[in-house]
Amino acid sequence: MVEDVFSSKGRVKILRLFVEIGELNISEIARRAGLNYATANQHLGILESAGLVLHKSFGRIRIYRLNESNPHARAVKVLIESWGTADRRKVK
Amino acid sequence: MSSYFTVFTDESKLDINYIPASLSHRESQFNLLSKFFQFAIESPGKMAQRILIVGKVGTGKTALAKLFGVRIMQIAQEKGINVRYVHVNCRERRGSLFMILQQVILDFYPHFPKRGYSSEELLGMLLQVLDEQNVFVILGLDELETLVENEGADALYELTRIHESRFKAPQRLSLIGILRGLECLEALDESTRSTLQRNIILLEEYSKNQLRDILDARVVLAFRDGVILEETLDQIAELAEREGGNARYGIELLWRAGKYADASSLSEVSPECVRRASSSVYPTVQKDAVFSLGLHEKLFLLGLARRFKHTTQAYLTMGEAEEAYRIVCEEYDEKPRRHTQLWKYVNDLSAADVVKSKVSSDGLRGKTTLIGLPYVSAEELERELSRRLRLQ
Repeated sequence: MVEDVFSSKGRVKILRLFVEIGELNISEIARRAGLNYATANQHLGILESAGLVLHKSFGRIRIYRLNESNPHARAVKVLIESWGTADRRKVK
Repeated sequence: MSSYFTVFTDESKLDINYIPASLSHRESQFNLLSKFFQFAIESPGKMAQRILIVGKVGTGKTALAKLFGVRIMQIAQEKGINVRYVHVNCRERRGSLFMILQQVILDFYPHFPKRGYSSEELLGMLLQVLDEQNVFVILGLDELETLVENEGADALYELTRIHESRFKAPQRLSLIGILRGLECLEALDESTRSTLQRNIILLEEYSKNQLRDILDARVVLAFRDGVILEETLDQIAELAEREGGNARYGIELLWRAGKYADASSLSEVSPECVRRASSSVYPTVQKDAVFSLGLHEKLFLLGLARRFKHTTQAYLTMGEAEEAYRIVCEEYDEKPRRHTQLWKYVNDLSAADVVKSKVSSDGLRGKTTLIGLPYVSAEELERELSRRLRLQ
């Protein structure tokens, strides 16, 4: 459900990271989003089950990215990108 | 400033990292290298190659490998094959297999985590990445000596045998080892050594005439028409030949002579500019070492250079060096490293022949490390480091 995904500031921050940076591992996601590891992991689980993100495993390391083949993920990307532009314009 | 005259048109063509479109007097070695890697285009994955490029400083080893890397990627792309040449300087990676493999994997995943796994795991991850992206990597390991010195025989053994446990899987990792001499390979076991020494491309020192050709080609790219006198080029070629047929030294000298001409507002680069430049160019080996230092090592060395500029002492104590370093850190707004770390820097710099260190004996109370700078002028070193630090 859309409200489940967007009801958390942490999840929105994570989505924003993927749009801005691309691929990241959990520790880096946690660090950049200001979350602890377990919370980040939990959010990623929710985002993945909603089909918005994907992960690849290299041994113990998991690298996440936006699932660009998912139309909702693509829409989220457009939304965040346009929001970023609007934010920048406001700052100017 | 607008009326400032310069003899240069493009200084970057004289930079140590600039790779020309073709390498004079290295055509046959380039062709040999291409032959060795013909399989990468004709039947990728069927085999992996291990080549050594051996030659003294300034004989074109790095340039040859990098130029080959660019060319093979172009050809592979035209044929729809995914070949990637990755060049890693082992010394810049502190001779650590872990850091070398990490640099390769960062080429594919720029945000790959920097900690949390061993070099064996990293090797496995690298192969996984290559399989997933269906890519064939040619890994250029520059200054291979540092890897052997630091890791012993095991690292090269693992790299050369990486495909053995992958029965029938495509062979995705080929190696080009770049080194000054074969002596360091004596530390390896018989089988690794024989695997590596099967294909060696030896680069002889350049002769004076060859150096002259190389310089001519760079003059066209980097200088205004007619500003370099024939005698100037002859003189540089001669000096570079005496320096062990070292083209890099010659190019550095050419650049510096140009700089002296600019600084003296001359419209021509005369032999006198070369004389002045040659007294200030310090050996390329140390320059490389300085180039690959970390930020705090550079800051530490800068502190030393500044202190030596204002003293007639041949050696500074560790305490004096640390004090000078702390002042530099304040200037660059960096938190200073502690004593043990600095002591390690001194050992590393000493091993790289940038500084000379010894333990104090008589005359000083207690024991302290004494640090000298006998190989290079403090002023020159300060200028070079300040320049590098500005670029960081």
